Amino acid sequence: MLEVSRIYAGYQGNDVVHDVSFHVEEGEAVMIIGSNGAGKTTLFRTMCGLLAASSGKVRFRGEEIAGLPAQHIVRRGIGFVPAERHLFPRMTVQENLSLGAYPKRPDPETMSVVIDLFPRLAERRRQRAGTMSGGEQQMLAVGRALMSRPRLLVLDEPTTGLAPKLAHEAYEALQVLRRQGLTLLVAEQQVPLAMAFCDRGYVLENGFVRLEGSSQQLAADPRVRTAYLGVT
Amino acid sequence: MTAIILDGIVLGLQFGLLAAGLTLVYGLGGVLNLAFGEMAVITAMVVLFAMEAGVPAAPAVGLGLVAGGLLGLVFDLTILRPVYRRKHEARVLLSLLLTLGVAFMVEGLLNWRYPLKALSLQIGGGAIEILGVPMRRGSLLASAITLVALGGLFLFFRSTALGRAIRSVIEDEEGAQLVGIDPHLMLRLILILSGVLAALVAVTRSMVTPVNVKAGFGITVFALIVTVVGGLGTVSGAFLAGVILGVVSSIAASYIGTFLSLVILLMAAALTILIRPSGLLGVRE
Repeated sequence: MLEVSRIYAGYQGNDVVHDVSFHVEEGEAVMIIGSNGAGKTTLFRTMCGLLAASSGKVRFRGEEIAGLPAQHIVRRGIGFVPAERHLFPRMTVQENLSLGAYPKRPDPETMSVVIDLFPRLAERRRQRAGTMSGGEQQMLAVGRALMSRPRLLVLDEPTTGLAPKLAHEAYEALQVLRRQGLTLLVAEQQVPLAMAFCDRGYVLENGFVRLEGSSQQLAADPRVRTAYLGVT
Repeated sequence: MTAIILDGIVLGLQFGLLAAGLTLVYGLGGVLNLAFGEMAVITAMVVLFAMEAGVPAAPAVGLGLVAGGLLGLVFDLTILRPVYRRKHEARVLLSLLLTLGVAFMVEGLLNWRYPLKALSLQIGGGAIEILGVPMRRGSLLASAITLVALGGLFLFFRSTALGRAIRSVIEDEEGAQLVGIDPHLMLRLILILSGVLAALVAVTRSMVTPVNVKAGFGITVFALIVTVVGGLGTVSGAFLAGVILGVVSSIAASYIGTFLSLVILLMAAALTILIRPSGLLGVRE
């Protein structure tokens, strides 16, 4: 479904991501793990069109999408939930969700899927997004991305700033989406959570892919165990 | 006193309209259009020349509004191209310099070619009494048009999908892109809208006082002051600040003197920056 090959990317001519290749197949949940500053966010921003790649290819459902602006990539079916969420803070929850469906009118069926997933958003319908708690904002960011009915949902650190209980709940919601057939790509620092959820993963270090494999293979790798799972 | 306040409201509504045209472009794209007043003057000249050529007033005004929209589009397609390639402060600075250059050129050209031209739309009929104060029909019609325009803008941003899309870019440009909105397209639409508003400013103003070829600078300055006080990117802020400053200016002009009223307006703007840097209804960063 998604095939990223040999991407180099960064800011002002200094590449942060080097020669990164990975792929995501339909129905899979794939994780990119790595510590702070490993290049996960740069990689995702490049893939989603918010940042221009220095070189490399990104194919989505058979079409080349590298170099397209973010708004075109969204319309082709990649929903992106950035770590900073980028909600519209002075607009209500309802308005944020409606805009998620832009340029179409919000589809009531999709809206009810989102509301079933996050009943809290229905309670807060008229509240301004900027006044909600971090956990609620995260729900809204995911909900807004779902409103465009993406085929692939990309989440950058969905658990940033969330208490452990909320982080678990976030992954439970993602599990529901997976069962509904959505393909997922997640960047995560909280490796144990992501590992329990994803089929496969890639380990990003200093902008290079160091390891790849199924979650079981990665969990068994001594380097991953010491660096990311806290096992000594 | 009632008369002074009513005059202030008439003036204030005009202030609100000018500021709306400037503040939306700035709030949305970080582009400061110092040629806004000249856009208004050009459209005033379009209306004037159309009427001199025998076109009746109403269609001539229509032509002026179309010319305003076209001017906005031309700005977007020409001098603002290099501006869009910059970001943040560099963008504000470059837009300020380029549009100021355009303003000087337009003013110079108009002054040279048509030094004595002025648009003055005469609204016939006697004065109408409001709260015991006789008001000129021109002032009332101008205020009514302005109110309708501001109300229309407010509703457009509040309740239409396109209006919401434009607001989303003001709120968070990257967030807007992530829901599939093209920020550059929205900016182009806003520039066209801003041009139409400039034309509306020229037309309504000419119902109250003649708009001559030197009026542009004053319009830009007032638009800037009201924008600073009202906050960036908000129509309701522009409206509120416009009315407040209009009343303040009218009171100052009649009790202290016309010259000092501008000083008092500038002080009000400076005070707002000190107390509430984001303006009355602006976004707090």
